[in-house]
Amino acid sequence: MQPNRLLLVAFALLFAGTPLLATPANQVRTRVEGLRALGAAFKTVNDGLRSSDVPVAQIQQAARTIRTAARQQYRWFPAGSGPQTGVKTYAKPDIWSKRAEFRTAQDNFARAADGFQRAAATGNVDAIKAANRNLGGTCKACHDAFRTPKD
Amino acid sequence: MPPRLARAVRVWDLPIRLFHWSLVALLGFSWWSAENHEMDWHRLSGLTILGLIVFRLLWGVIGSSTARFSSFVRSPGTVLEYLRRPAGPARPGHNPVGGYSVLAMLGLLLAQVGAGVFAVDTDGLESGPLSFLVSFDAGRLAAELHEALFNIALAVLALHIAAILFYRVIRRRNLIVPMLTGKDTEIHPTEPDIVPAGPLRFLLAAAIAAAIAWWTSNGLGL
Repeated sequence: MQPNRLLLVAFALLFAGTPLLATPANQVRTRVEGLRALGAAFKTVNDGLRSSDVPVAQIQQAARTIRTAARQQYRWFPAGSGPQTGVKTYAKPDIWSKRAEFRTAQDNFARAADGFQRAAATGNVDAIKAANRNLGGTCKACHDAFRTPKD
Repeated sequence: MPPRLARAVRVWDLPIRLFHWSLVALLGFSWWSAENHEMDWHRLSGLTILGLIVFRLLWGVIGSSTARFSSFVRSPGTVLEYLRRPAGPARPGHNPVGGYSVLAMLGLLLAQVGAGVFAVDTDGLESGPLSFLVSFDAGRLAAELHEALFNIALAVLALHIAAILFYRVIRRRNLIVPMLTGKDTEIHPTEPDIVPAGPLRFLLAAAIAAAIAWWTSNGLGL
C-alpha cells in the first residue's frame, strides 16, 4: 500500500469512527442543543397562537423545525450518555433501563410532530391549536417520566 | 399609667394592612403554585402581586402618613445614629433601618415580577405574559433570574421575620398585632394618630394598580 493511500485509509477510518469516539460530554451537548432549538420553536408556536393575528407562515417554519428534531431525537440518547457518566444531565437512567417505554414515548412525540406539521400546512388555526395541544402533551408525558425534576 | 387606660395609637391604615397580608398570602401561594407547576395560578398570583406593588408605590406618595416614603426613608446619618442608639421610645411607623428594609423588599419583589413576566420554561410551553417580546434565550435567562431572585427574596424575608422576633423576644415589643389591628397599645398615648388618606385616593391608587396589572397580563395590548 502506498503511503498516500495508507493516509487516506487512516483518515477514512478516523471519520467513520468519529461517532464512536464522541465523548459523553459531546453527546449531552448535542442533546441539549437539539432540545434548546426545540424549545425555541415551541415558543414561536405558542407566542404565535396567542396573538390575535396568528402568523401562520412562522408557525409552519417552526413546525418543520420540530419535525426535523423529532426525527433526530432518536440519536440524542446513545448508550452511555446518562447521569452515570458524571456529565450534568437531567436525563433519567430509566431512559436506558426502560428502553421499550422510552421508545414508545419517542414514537408518540414523532407521530405528534408529523401531525402538527400536517395541521400547520393546512393553515387552519383551530386545527393547528388542536395538534399543538396533542404535541405538547407528548412532550410533557416524556418529560414527566424521563426527566429529573429541577428541584 | 395602667395599660387599660392607655389609648391605642393608630399606626397603620387599612390599605397598608390589606396590602401587607395579601402580599404574605400571595407570596406563599406563588411559591406553592410554582413548585406544583400550576402555572395558570402562578401567573395570576404574580400579576396580582404586581398590582399590589404598584399600589404600594403609589400609596407611598399619596397614602396615609406612615405609608409615605417621605416619612420613613431617612438619611444615612439618621440610620447610623439609630444603629448606635436604637433604644428610645417606640414611635409609630417604620424605624430608620426598617424603612430601608421596606425599600429592599419592594425593590426585590418588583425585580422578581419583572423577571417573571419575561420568563420562558425550558420547553417553550409555559411563559410569562410579556415573554413574546423576547427571544427564547432571553426568556430562559429571565427564568433563571426569576429563580435566583426568589432565593435572595427568601433571605430578605427571613431577615424581616427575624427582626420581628428580635423585637418580640429581646425588646418585648409586639409588632404583629398592630399590623393586624392597625393600633399599637405600646406606643405612648401622646403620640399622634396617623393622618389617613381618603377613600378617593385609595380608589385612584387601586384603579391605577389594577389597570397596570391587567394591561401587563394582556401583553401591554401588543
